[in-house]
Formats: sequence, C-alpha cells, structure tokens
Amino acid sequence: MDNDILLQINDLHAAAGEKEILRGIDLTIRKGEIHAVMGPNGAGKSTLSAVLTGKPEYTVTSGSATFMGKDLLAMKPEERSWAGIFMSFQYPIEIPGVTITNFMKTAINSKRKAQGIEPMKAAEFLKLLRSKMAFVKMKPEFAKREVNVGFSGGEKKRNEIFQMAMLDPVLSILDETDSGLDVDALKIVADGVNSLRTPLKASIIITHYQKLLEYIEPDYVHVLKAGKIVATSGKELVGEIEAEGFDKF
Amino acid sequence: MEGNGRYVETPGGRYVDIPVKSGPDTLVVKAGTAFNRSYVINAGSSVSMPANHIIVEEGSLTDICIIIMPGVDADIPITVDLIGEGSDFSLSGIYICGSEERVSLETVVRHRVPGCKSNQHFNGIVSGTARTDFFGRIIVAPDAQKTEAYQVNRNILLSDKAKVNTKPQLEIYADDVKCSHGATIGRLDEEAQFYMRSRGIPLEEAKVLQMLSFISPVLNHIRNSAEREVVAKDIDEAIRKIL
Repeated sequence: MDNDILLQINDLHAAAGEKEILRGIDLTIRKGEIHAVMGPNGAGKSTLSAVLTGKPEYTVTSGSATFMGKDLLAMKPEERSWAGIFMSFQYPIEIPGVTITNFMKTAINSKRKAQGIEPMKAAEFLKLLRSKMAFVKMKPEFAKREVNVGFSGGEKKRNEIFQMAMLDPVLSILDETDSGLDVDALKIVADGVNSLRTPLKASIIITHYQKLLEYIEPDYVHVLKAGKIVATSGKELVGEIEAEGFDKF
Repeated sequence: MEGNGRYVETPGGRYVDIPVKSGPDTLVVKAGTAFNRSYVINAGSSVSMPANHIIVEEGSLTDICIIIMPGVDADIPITVDLIGEGSDFSLSGIYICGSEERVSLETVVRHRVPGCKSNQHFNGIVSGTARTDFFGRIIVAPDAQKTEAYQVNRNILLSDKAKVNTKPQLEIYADDVKCSHGATIGRLDEEAQFYMRSRGIPLEEAKVLQMLSFISPVLNHIRNSAEREVVAKDIDEAIRKIL
C-alpha cells in the first residue's frame, strides 16, 4: 500500500433521492497535495463534498472511498471529523442559542472524549480560541455570538476558516468557500488553507472561479462535469478554463 | 366566573369587568415589592405551586418561573390581576415531557390599570406519547392604556405520537397598548445537526445542545445564578433521558 495516500476514491456513484449525481468518481489524494475541483453548476461538486462528509440526504450507490486506509463511507459524520476531515460549508448553518465558544469547546472535547483524552483545560482552550480568531481576523466579541446568527456572508466564511484552524484537520475540503467574498476575505481563506499546507496534510478546493487559486496554488486541477472527472492536469488548467470555459471538456 | 361581571361596550368589543376577589389561594405582590421565585416540579415530589391567583399591586416586580420535569402530570391554572399602575409581571415556564405525561397550563393575565407590563414565556419539549395544552389569555381593560403585554409559547416535538396544543389569545379593549403573542411547534433542525456532526459533535450531543439553547431564554428568568445553575444541570440530565 502507498502510505502517502490520504483519500482514495474509486468509481464512486451517489444519488440524492432517485437522482444519480456522481457517476463514477476516481480520485487519489496524497499527503502534501492541494487539489482544485472545478466545474460548471450542477456538475456534482457540492455532492462530492457532501458524500465525503457523510451528509444523510445522499446515498452512495456504488464504489468506495477510503481515508487513511479506513472505509470512509462506513463512518458517521462525527467520526469522519475525528479522523481529520473538515469541510468548509458553502452555506454555513445558523445555530441559534449556541455560542461559538460553546460550539468549539463541545467539538474539541467530543473528539478528545472519542480518543479517550481528558477535556481541554479552560485556559488552554481560551488561548487557542483567541489565537485562531486573531489568525482569521475575527473580532474577539464573536466568541460570544451565536454560531452564524446574523453574520454577513463574509463573516460566515471567516467563521468556517476559524473552525478549520481550531480543529486542525488532515484533509480540508473547501466547498465554494470563495463565492461572494471580497479580496480581503479571500486572502484570509487562502492564508488559512496555506497554513495547513504541510507535508502531512491535504486540501480539496471546490470552486468555479479561478480567483481563489491565485492565492492558493493547487498541485492538481480536476474538471468535474456531469458527475465525472473529465480532465486532470496541473495548475495550468486553471488559465485554460478561465479563457475557454467548461464547454470544451 | 364571568357571570358576575359588569359589561362595558368598547369599540373593540364587549369587555366583561369582573371584580377582583382574593381567596385562600391568592398571592398578593404588595405595592413596591419584588417577588422572584422558581418552582421545580419533579416526578414524585410535591412542590406547592404558586397560588393560582395572583394580585399584582402598584410598582411591584414579579418574576415567577415554573419548571416541569419529565414524568410529571400537571394541571396548572393561573389567573393574574394587575391592579396597580407601573407594575412589571413575568410568568415563565419550561416543560419537558418524555413519555406519557399530560401537562396543561392555563393562564389569564388581566391588565386592569394603565402602564403595566406583563411577559409570559413558556417553552416545552415534548416526546413519547405526551400531550401538552397551553391556553394563554391576555385581557387588557378599556382603561389600561400604555399596557405592554407579551406572550410566547414555543414547542419542540420530538415524536410523531406526542401532541402539542397551544392557543394564545389576546383580548384588547384599550387602544394605546403594545401587545403581542405567538406560538410555534417545530422539530430540531437537521441541517444544524449535520453541521455540528461535521465538526465532531456526536448526534446525541448535537440534539442536547439544540434543546438546551431552546430552553435557555426561559431559564434566564431564574434570577439567582446559583439556583439557575442547579436547575440547568437537572434540565441537562432530563433532556439526555428523554432523547
């Protein structure tokens, strides 16, 4: 077995209800790599990230996906998080009544509990929280805000990157995190991803714009169309898509 | 009860002016005083409820919170007469039903004089084959101008076999008032559950967080923080049991 492989997807088919959306995805992601997945609307980009994180509405009809050698598809969403997978949501969800502090404390300590580790000490947690908030330039008062409630589009995305930094995932999936962001917010997202760019980690950047990829240089670019990866190349593919669109694939 | 009242015709309809009468079960919140109390009703324990009739005098401040824990059948009628100007009255409650409880709450809040404020806030979590009824009436007399009266009843239904009945009513005979009422019956948001799970929070824990956050605005009516923490801990345990 190739020990560098983090995620191995073979001939993955998935449906939402009766409708088949993914029609045979093959993808291998190794440690240290950044993969961009581009494609037109309706190609299955968001379905791919939903299936990888275990969203209940989607059914895998055939094929396989392993994460660090384990059957990913057999794992619950929370177990995938504990294993080191993180998805930045395209549309982050509001959780009324739950503060960011309480949310993150519960998240971190749930993972520690699952691993048989004691809860993080309050002082250590607060220090971590403050440093990661500063890293994504979130104002400290957001710690007491209810998760995503009343946040602007940019604030929601920043909160996603903050959570990513807090949970320190092995594989981060950014599902159109760049849509609707101004350049400053885009740079924060890029800094977040680039900070996790280590020889042991990997990222999947799902987007249909090339803007974010000016700040995060991908190792591979895939074109997803009608539920299949129809082209794979290096970062030069981004320019080609920008110039000619997805029609040629 | 309305039989011995005097009828007053108003543009808003016929107001029945019933004399205020205190009885053995009447609690009087005296002018200029404060009355804060929470009542936790546990299965098997006997907690004496606040009087089922409360008279609120001028310039007083009342905050009553009733917490009905799982396993309790309860039938609680409360009538409130606001008879002194400038008083502030709050009645709130939480009910958590997990099996076959029957809980009935019936409130009547009468604003008889001008310039009083009343607030009612009841949140319930209902599961199993439990049934809850909430009947809440606010009556604002023709003379009770500058009244502020609010009432909310929110419910989370956890099972298809449980039943929630809620009926808020406003009867307003004065024309310069601020009043609102509302009732909701909903389920736990599954999108939010998936979001929490994707961050490593197990499904059960996600549900507990959702329910605690649903309860928390009512819990804040318990002013004594030590008491509130004890109740919060009991509620946390109760919620985990009915999941």
